[in-house]
Amino acid sequence: MSAQAAQDGHPQLAVPGRPTLLSGCARAATAAEARYRISYPGGFAQRSSRVIALGAQAARAVRELGGQAWDGGHFLVFESAVPDDALLRRVGGGDTALLSEELDGADAVVLVASAGASAEAASVIGDAAAARGIMSAGLVLPGGDPAGVPAAAPAGVVAALRPNAMVLVVLRDAADVPEVLSALRV
Amino acid sequence: MLKQEINELLTQTGPGTPMGDLFRQYWIPALLAEELPEDDCPPVRVKLLSERLIAIRDSDGRYGLMDEFCAHRGVSLWFGRNEESGLRCSYHGWKYDVTGQCVEIPSEPDERHSSLCAKIKLRSYPLVKIGDVLWTYMGDPARTPDLPQWEFTRVPAGQSYTSKRWQECNWLQALEGGIDSSHVSWLHSDGLRSDPLFKDAEGNKYNLADRKPFFEVVESDGGLFIGVRRNAEEGHYYWRITPWVMPAFTMIPPRGDHPIHGHFWIPIDDENCWVFTYDYHPVRPLSAAEVRAMKDGKGVHNEFVPGTYRPLQNKDNDYMMDRAAQKRGETYSGVKGISMQDASLQESMGPIVDRTKERLVSTDSGIIMARRKLWRAVEALRDEGVTPPGVDVTHQAVRSAAVVLPKDQSFIEGCGDALRVRPGEKHASV
Repeated sequence: MSAQAAQDGHPQLAVPGRPTLLSGCARAATAAEARYRISYPGGFAQRSSRVIALGAQAARAVRELGGQAWDGGHFLVFESAVPDDALLRRVGGGDTALLSEELDGADAVVLVASAGASAEAASVIGDAAAARGIMSAGLVLPGGDPAGVPAAAPAGVVAALRPNAMVLVVLRDAADVPEVLSALRV
Repeated sequence: MLKQEINELLTQTGPGTPMGDLFRQYWIPALLAEELPEDDCPPVRVKLLSERLIAIRDSDGRYGLMDEFCAHRGVSLWFGRNEESGLRCSYHGWKYDVTGQCVEIPSEPDERHSSLCAKIKLRSYPLVKIGDVLWTYMGDPARTPDLPQWEFTRVPAGQSYTSKRWQECNWLQALEGGIDSSHVSWLHSDGLRSDPLFKDAEGNKYNLADRKPFFEVVESDGGLFIGVRRNAEEGHYYWRITPWVMPAFTMIPPRGDHPIHGHFWIPIDDENCWVFTYDYHPVRPLSAAEVRAMKDGKGVHNEFVPGTYRPLQNKDNDYMMDRAAQKRGETYSGVKGISMQDASLQESMGPIVDRTKERLVSTDSGIIMARRKLWRAVEALRDEGVTPPGVDVTHQAVRSAAVVLPKDQSFIEGCGDALRVRPGEKHASV
């Protein structure tokens, strides 16, 4: 193949050895073959995610999100630590639940944290998730006046979450939270 | 998971598409300077952002990038003659200068030359050599940004090396590999021990000892910093920080005193992209052995089909899959070389992967945030004309870093200026 053929992006001109097997990559990776990928009309088994707010601003955001349609995720607000557990308030129903109950059957925990989030709360939830082998992620909301210009995420909140979340995302725009949750199929 | 309309929004970059409009806000790599090595050299056909173009270097050393086809009968100017300060169509002799302006129509009577020529101008874009790369800007001339300032193009000659390769899939799934730090512990686990451009770095021991890293994603003015931390000595973490600058620049964290490397992921069309791969050292010339290794396809470079920019390992030869080497533990996937390990898997997804069907997990947060930032920037440009992040040259002054920090320190604080370009100062590396 000439350099020009490569420039031009024409695979048919650029074949040093034509594929001889139907299973070869050249054929298997085409758009035409993508039609034969197995589809799952009902999807895979639904995920069971828990979205837990830490801090007042995060609680407001999670309450608002909880009113929207999701893929089975539970939206909760951290209330207090209790011996060997934590008390959470369910968004929507308003009743409370123990963290240990909520983590039964969960396969992902997403902490949404803002100023005021306590390190103790993050630790209790992080430890409980780790003990059960549940993936934990943290979304740190920007600071600032909710009606004004967002400020950087509070450093203390980031530090509180770091040991307790396998993935930490420090956001500049709280409007990204629903998009991240949607991408994770919460 | 992305909705189909968002997947289409982010993957389609042709003229008139929202993502295409976004790409047309930036100076982007178009060719390597070596492709137009001398005045009056042969023209080069190049497709960028789904536009077929021809690149020339005229008799006076001026570079030009214009519509590939002659205005007269639609003949490809690749067959043309690059001579006497212009590119002449071989069919009827029409001639164009580097701006695409027609300057001669020899078949017409002399008195009609000037008026007819003046009315014929092929679409053209500026083409500028900076470092080893020829850059173009394909947007509105009135919004032409400052020339790019990427550090790898600004260090003295001899301190950098750039290659490019053709990748047969959409640009976004290629880019996403560049910010997907979680695959490195698996797919590329062989490279740390053996590759001459990676091995023997002090930090490699942390990589090899801790296969379950934690991730931290922080937004920057130009895009993202993606930090990956592993356990180091007591009370410390080993951090590797990858910057992504919108839309298509990524930089891999360094290892020891090895050169720093990274990529630009540039759409050819919606089903192909160019991967420009750079290596540079901020404070010293690359050694002959390092340049030799890069040319031999080590590090993040690759070997080529001779005389082309197509990887030697490609989909037509099943990437020279070596199951015996896989079984022996020499490679994780059976494919040799970091760049082709990535490309083989990304191309296997199909030309444009269907993101409505993917099952992302939290370690994909860097990818999720990058898509979100692209999407937000596309909408802001389309709806309000907002210049996207990454156009401002101050956003381009970033470096990757590899550092050991106390556990209670964020990588942003701990790295400080190490994530910024500091001319004449060494990069932060372990």
